[in-house]
Formats: sequence, structure tokens, C-alpha cells
Amino acid sequence: MSRIPRIGRRVALAALLLAATVSSPQRARAAVTSDPQPILVSRQLAEAARLSAGEIVTLSADPKGAGGRTFRVVGIYEPTPDPMRLTARRLEARLHLPDLLSIVADPSDPLSADSVSSINVALRDPGDADRFLRDLAARMPGLYAGKTHDSRNGSGPFVAIERFHLAISLVTVLGSTAFLLALMVIRADERRETVGILRLLGFSRRRVLSEVLLEGLFIAVSGAVFGVLFAVATEGAVNRLFQWRYDTALVFVRVTPAIAARCVAVAAPLGVLAGVLASWTVLRSDIVALLRR
Amino acid sequence: MSSIAFAWRGLARQPARALLGIAGIVAVGALLFDMLLLSRGLLLSFRDLLRETGFDVRVTARPDPISAGPQIAGVASLLDALRALPEVRGAVPVRFGKVEASSPADRVHGAFLVGSEAADRTWTLLEGPGLLEGNAAVLVNRNLASRLRLTPGSRIRLRGISSRGVEAIPETVFRVAGIVSSPFDSADALTAITTLAGFRRACGETRGDVADLVLVASTPDSGAAAAVAAIRRVRPDLNAYSNDQMLERFERTDFAYFRQISRLLSTITLSFAFLLVATLLTVSVNQRFAELAALRALGFARSRVVGILLCESLLLVGIGAALSLPAGALLANRLDTILRSMPGLPERLHFFVFEPRSVAMHLALLASTGLLAALYPAYLAFRLPIAATLRRETVS
Repeated sequence: MSRIPRIGRRVALAALLLAATVSSPQRARAAVTSDPQPILVSRQLAEAARLSAGEIVTLSADPKGAGGRTFRVVGIYEPTPDPMRLTARRLEARLHLPDLLSIVADPSDPLSADSVSSINVALRDPGDADRFLRDLAARMPGLYAGKTHDSRNGSGPFVAIERFHLAISLVTVLGSTAFLLALMVIRADERRETVGILRLLGFSRRRVLSEVLLEGLFIAVSGAVFGVLFAVATEGAVNRLFQWRYDTALVFVRVTPAIAARCVAVAAPLGVLAGVLASWTVLRSDIVALLRR
Repeated sequence: MSSIAFAWRGLARQPARALLGIAGIVAVGALLFDMLLLSRGLLLSFRDLLRETGFDVRVTARPDPISAGPQIAGVASLLDALRALPEVRGAVPVRFGKVEASSPADRVHGAFLVGSEAADRTWTLLEGPGLLEGNAAVLVNRNLASRLRLTPGSRIRLRGISSRGVEAIPETVFRVAGIVSSPFDSADALTAITTLAGFRRACGETRGDVADLVLVASTPDSGAAAAVAAIRRVRPDLNAYSNDQMLERFERTDFAYFRQISRLLSTITLSFAFLLVATLLTVSVNQRFAELAALRALGFARSRVVGILLCESLLLVGIGAALSLPAGALLANRLDTILRSMPGLPERLHFFVFEPRSVAMHLALLASTGLLAALYPAYLAFRLPIAATLRRETVS
């Protein structure tokens, strides 16, 4: 008889569909029922319990392993990344519902073999969701039903995290603007004489201003584009770091065209403004003042 | 004149540049300070909440103190065993459940019901006598009182919601004995607290000897660790955790994300501060070659010139760092408000918690960054050839 691994005593059957903690697996002999039912195990569980496809495992709802049933692992899957369960170890298995109920049902409770945690519903017309929920509430009071995605909900955790990152971005932009202004002031100071000579040659204030504006725009847009490219180049590294840390396939950082456009749209006017502000005294000064040393 | 006085004059001669440099340092310094507060803020705040309950050990039947799991059976004998331990000052069993609560004003589905003994004073009384006696008294939190328009002495109806399916649990009437605040209530939590007998009555239960959790207070002489060890000796089938162990678990899992974000952002802000100071000083040195060469020609040693530049950097960073502390405090307040708006978090949990070591670390990091940033411009000044520089400046 082949060796049959048994999941350690810390695996609760409720964890089969939820995150669970698993101690090191204990391999022990167990009776193999004929034609054990197929199950899938998550990649994380397969790694933790050193399972592979084809192996026979015993699953039990009892921490001591009593009343277990044997199953055959027919595949290993990557669980859908769930940001709400980021820190949970995805030690999961997927069974046919009757098999799960046969393990977790309480023999003293006649309803337990006919009870489930939740039911996923796919509507023919997703636009009917609100009407469906109303009808359901009217027919089954006490039953909770909700949409999987409610765009009107502005209070979720990700909304808070988005606002948090936006606030940090704004502070970073403030610091960057001060930095840019300082450099533009230095640059304007260095070019006082150059501007004076240009004015002497007949360049109008308007022409000098347009040069300053274009220069500020060019520096800001170039810097923003460089920043976006740098972010794109490093997003892979950041994602790999967090994916390794949390053992997940979740993507943490993604630079989208909308984000890139927003960065350039914020940087461009700031750059122009910084250029104009820094060059203001130079633009307002007369030629003699500019050329006087 | 000392190097610092020279450095001050150098900055004062270019006020716009110096002020903008300081403004940049204030912005990044504020962000750095906030990230240092965030790195341990959740941990410190949660530790304070745990301490506030007055219990420092938790006993459960599940291996993970956080997740749901089996109940503890034989609670009466367990309590006797725990209370007999010299390391234990007190032990209180706790039940958790959900109820439908109603009053003449409104009906609420899914309010949180806690059943415990009168010795469990993990809550703070806000109004009313707060005496939980028998099986017909209940304490409610401010949200539930407001929603159902309850005051001490009001009647509230509770019907337990079974987790196993639709069951016809009868509605029971309770008297509101007080309005309380619980440290772990979220901003929108609807919570009611009653005795164990009241809990069984509300939830229609007949099994009286179970608990979801037993809270244990250790004696001051022995401490939580000794209490945990003693509990594990008498009941090796159960799991006992001290507050410190709970915190360690949270730090490894749920709080780890914010700690890592804070490290990442701290690194970025320090890099930014380095770039800012290094660029400003380098450009400043490039513009002042003639001045520096003249100082060298007058007899200033290389080390003194380098010292002046280092002092300039420290002045920029020092003033910026000092101003960034109040700016960071204001920003932390705002960021804390944003993060605490996440649903389900205890209302009194904070992400940004002040501790003196954060200030020390903030100042040390910025000072090191300022010194590092000044190295290259200092090197330029150190290597400056006096005669060639003076000649070039004179000819140009």
C-alpha cells in the first residue's frame, strides 16, 4: 500500500474554503476507501503539505482527525488573489459540495446536511440586481443578499487606502515643487546676464517669457515622463517583493495610462509655474539692472 | 568667525534658495516622520487597547486566537482550574453572537451581542447604573442606543441569529442597564453586552457550559508569560496567548503591510532629501568657486572650507527637520483620519502613534542624509585649485 499523507491536526474543515493555518504535515497510514472522490488543493497547501496530483489525503472536521474521509488530489490551483485576505495563508481545498457536507454536517442537526454558507447568483441581466434583491428580501426575510460590486459604496478599505496614497502623493508633489523652484531660482540667477544681452539684442519681454515657459514645460514633462518610466521599470520589482512576502499572485502596483496621464497633467503646469515664478524678478528687471555686475 | 556662522551667512545671502530648500526638506521630513510613526503605530495602539481591557491572557479552543473556531466546553471546571492557579488573578468566560435588536423606534439586524460575567469590565460606562444582574439586563453602545432611541431603563427586544441557518429563536425582552463604550468597537458597531445567562436567553441556547473565549488576568508578581505556561500545563488541550503573543502575531501578519509601506516610503523620502540637499549644495559650490578660492588664498584650511559646507548642509537639514516635526504631526493627524475610515476597525485604533524614539530616529536619519549629501560638494571644494580658480574668475 502506498504511503498516504494525512493533513496535520490543525487543519479544520472550515478552513477548506477559508484561509487556515496548517502545521507541518503528519504522514500516517489511513484506510483508503474505494474510488476516493477528487479534490483540488491550493498551491500554498500543496507546498505546505508536500502534496502532488494523484496523492490520497484524508480530510476531517475534527482537530484530532476523527471521522476523516479520503480524497484524491486531482489538481493544484492558484487561489484567486483576495486583497481582503492578504495576510491569510491560503491553505485551501475545493471539494464537491456533497463531499464537503458529508464531512462537516453535524449528525445531531437535521438541517446541517442541507445548509450552506452562501449562494452565488448570476443574473441573466445584471441590471436587474436591485429588483432581484428586493424580491428576495420580500420572499425570504432574514436572508442577507448583496451585490458583489457596489459602485456606490465609498467607504470600503480600498477607498481609504486610495485616499491615503493620494495624500502622500500630494505631499510628495509639494516637496518636489519646492525642489524644482529652488533649482529654477538658481538657474534664473545664473542667466541674468544672458537675459540682459538678449534684451539688448532686441528680444522682447514676451519672447523671453515664452522661452521660460517652454523651458519649464519641457523640464516638467521630461521629468514626469522619466518618473513614469522609472515607475513602470520598478513596478515589477515592487510587485515581486510583495508577492513573495505574502505568497500571493495579487498585483500591488500597476502604472496605468490614466495614472501616467494624471502625473504628466499635474507636473506640467507645476513646472511652468515654477519657471515663471523663479524668473519673475529677471523678467521684470530692466536691461541695465540685468547687465550690472 | 566660526564655520557655522560662515555657513549661516552663506545661506542668508541667497534667501530664496535657502527658504525653498528648507521648504523641500520640511515636506519630505514631514513624510519621513509620519512613516516612522506608521511603522509601529498600529502595534502600539493595539497594545494600548489590549491593556485597557485589564486582561493579559486569552484562552481559546482554536489554534489561532483571531479566527473563528470551536467553542470551549466544560467552562465551569476550566474556570475553577484557572482561578486555582497562583499565577492567575481572575478569569472570565465570554460568548459572542449576533442578534436582531428592536425597540418601538426601529429594528436592527446583525447587532453584536457579547455575553460575559459581571467581573468583565472591558467596557467604559457612559450613562446609567451599568449593573448587569440576572438574565434580563443589557448594556448597549452609543450607536445602538442612538439607533433604537434607548436610554437607561428602556426596553429592548433581542432575538438571536443562528449561524447554522434559519431557526425560530423567540424574541426576548431586556432592560437597558446602561450605555457603554467598548475599546474594540468600530465606528459603526452596534453592540450589546449582557450576562452569560442573558446571552443564552437571547440566543435560545440550552448549553450553558461553553464559551468562545476565556479572558485571564495574571497576578502582577508572576506576569502573563508565567500565567500562559501554567494554563498550558493544566489544560494542554486549549490554547493560551498573552497580549504580547497576540501582538507578535498581528505584527507578523495584519500589521506587516503598513510596516513595509512605511519602510518603502521612508527610503524614498530619504533618497529625495539626499537628492535635494546634494543638488542645492553642489550648484551652490559651483557658483562660489571664486569665493572659496579666495578664502583658501586668505589662509582658510581645506578642512575649514569643507566644514563650512558641512555646516551649510546641516543648517538646511536641521532647520527643515525641526519645522517638519509639527508639519508631520498635522499631516499624521490627517492621514490617521483617512486610514481609520476603513470599515470594521476599532474606533480607538490609531495608525500613527507618537513615541520619542521616532523623533530621535527622524533627526538622526535626516542628519545622516544631510552629511552624506554634502560629501560630493565638499569634495569639490576640497580639490579646488586656488590659483587656477582665481585666474579663471579674474579673466572671465
